Amino acid sequence: MPEPIRVAAVGDVHLADDLRGRYAPLLEGISAEADALLVAGDLTQHGTIDEAKAFADEFDAADVPVLTVLGNHDYHSGEEREIAQLLEERGMTVLEGTSTTIETRAGRLGVAGVKGFCLGFSGRSAADFGEPQMKAFTGHGIETAVVLRRALDDLAGEAPDVTVALSHFAPVDDTLLGEPKEIWPFLGNYRLGEAIDEAGVDLAVHGHAHAGREKGLTPAGVPVRNVAQPVIQAAFRVYDVVPRRSA
Amino acid sequence: MNEQLARDLECAIATDPRTHELGIHLQVRGEHLVVSGEVASEERRDMVLDVIREHDTGLEIADHIMLSAEPGPGGPGHERIVPPPSS
Ligand SMILES: [Fe+2]
Ligand SMILES: [Fe+2]
Repeated sequence: MPEPIRVAAVGDVHLADDLRGRYAPLLEGISAEADALLVAGDLTQHGTIDEAKAFADEFDAADVPVLTVLGNHDYHSGEEREIAQLLEERGMTVLEGTSTTIETRAGRLGVAGVKGFCLGFSGRSAADFGEPQMKAFTGHGIETAVVLRRALDDLAGEAPDVTVALSHFAPVDDTLLGEPKEIWPFLGNYRLGEAIDEAGVDLAVHGHAHAGREKGLTPAGVPVRNVAQPVIQAAFRVYDVVPRRSA
Repeated sequence: MNEQLARDLECAIATDPRTHELGIHLQVRGEHLVVSGEVASEERRDMVLDVIREHDTGLEIADHIMLSAEPGPGGPGHERIVPPPSS
């Protein structure tokens, strides 16, 4: 069996000045464990530039490429563009309906990322119907899955050995168990899961569901991991993803 | 203080710019207002309690907030993800 590509991941670190010093010491030398570090959004607590600097200072310590998506908290102050720009200037990659590839010793890792949005899950989701406000809400949820699908299709052209879908909102409800059911429509979006299944993905990683559980599967059987920090209770997890044998 | 006030206060904790904590739950138990949920630091716990104290609930605050486990050193958990047998 081929060597695995080692994908480290964490989400929902919600950084601000009070948490400075919590992550950097644990991320130094991460290259001994992983080939890349994915951060699944909610990098900051209130979405301010100062908090984004605290995030960048902490996660700069990682000696592997850092790939992020933003989360809803990172949008709260209306500074999401400035946050993304700051992180890019600090050498990190912010994926928003885009993808990237990284060459590792075990092959090419491809990651497509999107924040995602609410919508809910099959049979219990918001419907694109009625008032303009409702259509705007559901429309954004649907659009975000379309954008993820497009990013995954673009990524397929790069022929990665391992493909990972990174989002903040959950693509399945398996990983929401532990969260009150009443709020599941605000935690994830089944259309993200459909995009993942249609495009062919080896691993889906998300955050946002702090009280959920780590492991789930899409309807077609793609492994899904909720890496929200309160769920994994570690600085990061590492998924050793074995490339599919070339056809 | 009734259930609705507890929900309103939860909402205040979620939207107050000092806190923005979405995972705090309040319950009235006799003369106590039980505050539960998880926050990432002692500062954030204090902020949540400050916001609650600013509302005159007339209840004794029972602080049952848990601090998120601080990520510690030690090897990270590795999990092997193997592709399904190709069909
Ligand atoms: Fe979060
Ligand atoms: Fe979130």
